[in-house]
Amino acid sequence: MSGEAVRILVVDDELGVREGCRKILTAEGYEPTVAEDGQAGWEAFQARPGYSVLLVDLMMPRMTGLELMKRVREADEDVLPIIITAHATIDTAVEGTKQGAYSYIPKPFTPDELLLAIKNGLERRALTIEARRLREERERRLLEVAAERSKSNTIIKCMTDGILVINTEQLVVLRNDAATRILPGTQTVPFPLASLACAEVTSLIDEVLNSASGPTIMSREVTLAESTYMVNVSQVIEPGGETSGAVAVFRDITALKKLETAKSMFVSMVAHEVKNPIAAAEGWLNLVQGGLSRQDPQEERRMIERALIRLRTLRTLVTELLNITAIETGNFTLRRSPVEVGKLAAEAVEANRDKSREKNIQLTLTGAGGGQSLADRDALLMVLSNLIDNAIKYTPDGGHVGVHVAKDGLFVKVTVKDDGIGMTPAEKDKIFDEFYRAKNDFTANVPGTGLGLSLVKRLTEMHHGRVSVDSSPGDGSEFTLYLPLS
Amino acid sequence: MAKLILLVDDDRDFLEQNRGVLESLGFRVACATDPQTALDSPERPDLVVSDLMMKNLDSGFSLARAVKSRWAGTPVILVTAVSSQRGFDFNPRTREDLAAMNADAFFDKPVDPAVLIAKVRELLG
Repeated sequence: MSGEAVRILVVDDELGVREGCRKILTAEGYEPTVAEDGQAGWEAFQARPGYSVLLVDLMMPRMTGLELMKRVREADEDVLPIIITAHATIDTAVEGTKQGAYSYIPKPFTPDELLLAIKNGLERRALTIEARRLREERERRLLEVAAERSKSNTIIKCMTDGILVINTEQLVVLRNDAATRILPGTQTVPFPLASLACAEVTSLIDEVLNSASGPTIMSREVTLAESTYMVNVSQVIEPGGETSGAVAVFRDITALKKLETAKSMFVSMVAHEVKNPIAAAEGWLNLVQGGLSRQDPQEERRMIERALIRLRTLRTLVTELLNITAIETGNFTLRRSPVEVGKLAAEAVEANRDKSREKNIQLTLTGAGGGQSLADRDALLMVLSNLIDNAIKYTPDGGHVGVHVAKDGLFVKVTVKDDGIGMTPAEKDKIFDEFYRAKNDFTANVPGTGLGLSLVKRLTEMHHGRVSVDSSPGDGSEFTLYLPLS
Repeated sequence: MAKLILLVDDDRDFLEQNRGVLESLGFRVACATDPQTALDSPERPDLVVSDLMMKNLDSGFSLARAVKSRWAGTPVILVTAVSSQRGFDFNPRTREDLAAMNADAFFDKPVDPAVLIAKVRELLG
C-alpha cells in the first residue's frame, strides 16, 4: 500500500482503553486519532475523513457506538468498523453486524488481539475495495463495448451507401437501411442471398465468395430503377486466412454518370463547333488553290475573305471558351473599379458602329449616364459589346438597334432593343445556354459561336447583376441588363 | 436538261462552295438549309449531297432515308465535319455500312473538289 500511515479512529469513553490503543497502534506504525464519545468521534471524522478503521465502543454518552458506525459508514463505506465492548451479547453482535461491523473485540483485550483484529480487518478491507474496483471496471468496459457497438450500428444504419454482409452459407446477415432502399425486400436477416431480386449483384457476390485466390475485391456498375450504383464486394478474411463471407457496398454514382454524359456531350459539341469553321475555311482555300476561282482576282479575294470570316469566328470561339473555363474554375478575377456605365455603353456602341453601317442599321444610344457601377471595365465592355453585336446580327438590313442607359432604383439599367427577327418562347429559354443558337432561314447566314450570350450572363452575374430578354418572333428583342450602383 | 443536284447544309459556306464546283461542271444545283425544304423540292433531284448534322443530330440520316423512299434510285452523298458523337464512331467502313445509312458515299468535310467531282461523275454515270 501507499507509504502513508493507516489512519484509525478510536472512540471509547474509557480513558485507559483510548490511551492504551493509541500507544499500541502508534508503536505498530498506524496513525490513531482518539475521541471520548460518539459525538466527539463523529466530529473528529468530519474534521478529517479518510480513516481506514473505526474502533468503537458501543455504550457511550451523547451518541452510541452503533449510531456513530451508521453515520460513518454512510459517509464512507470503506471505513472498517471494529467493535470493542465489555458487554458483548448476541443481540449487540447482531445489531453491530447489521450496521456493518467487521468484528468484535471483547474487553479486556491484549495488544496482540487488537493488532490481529486490525490486520485481518485491513486485509478484508483491501479485498473488498479491490473487488469493487474490478467490478466497476468491468461495468465500465461493458458500457464502453455497448456504446461502441451501438455507435457502429448507428454508423452502418445511417450510411448513405448501402451495405450487405453475406456469410459463406450465402445468407445475408446484415443489411442497412440504404441497402433496403436500393434493393427493396421485406426479408428479415438472415435470409438467402438468392432472394435478392438482382442477378447482377448476387452473381458478383457469389463470384467473390467462391474466389480462391486470396483477398478479392470486385466492382461492377449496376443500374437499379433510375439510379446507377458502383457495387464493391470484398471478401472478409479471418485472421486464420479462411474466407468468412463478403461485404457488398453500394454507392450511388447517378450524379457522376450524368456529369460524365454532360461532359462528353460538351466535348462533342465543342469538336463540332471547332471543326465546322475550320472545314468551311479550308473548303474556300481549296477552291482558290484548285483554280476554281477561275483565276478571277476579285473572286479569289471574296473566297479568302469568306475563309477569314470563319477563322475569326473560330478565334472568338476559342477566346470565349477560355473565358468560360476561367469563370467556371474560378480563375477569372474581376479587377473592379467605379465605371461610368453610360460612357462604357457609348464605347461599346462605337465599337459596333462599322458593323451597323455595313448592314445599314441605325444604331442609337439614349438616356442620361445612369451612374457608376463597381465593375471590371474590360469584362463589362465585353458584355455590352456582345449584346449590341448580337442585336445587329439578328436584325435585317435597314433595321434599328437602340441602346438606352438609365438609373433604376439601386441599379443602372441598360436596354438593348432591336426590331429584328425576335425569338420564340422556346428559343428565349435557351438563349443563354452554351452553344445554343436559334436556327432558321435567317440565322443560317449569321456567323456566331453560341457562347456570346452565355458569357454575357456569367459575367453579369459575377457583377451581381441580372440579364433578361423580352422577345417574340418578328417583333424584335429587348435585352435588359441590371447592374448594382456603386 | 442538265441533271439536278440538291445540296443540303445549314452552313451557307459549304452550299456555296459545292454549288460553285458543281455548276462549273454544267449541273443544275438547288440548295436547301434544312431537310424539310430539301424534301419539298418540286423537282426530283438526280443526286442529293447532304450534311449529316443539322438541326437534329441525325438529320442527315433521316433525310437519306426519306430521299430513298420519296425518290427511289436517287443517290445520296453524306458529308460531315464530325464523324463521331460521344465516342461512337459512325464512319462507314464497308459497302454494307453505307447501305445501312441509305448513302452511296460518305465524306469528311471539307470534301476535296476533285474527290467530289469524281464521285458525282461515278454516281451520275
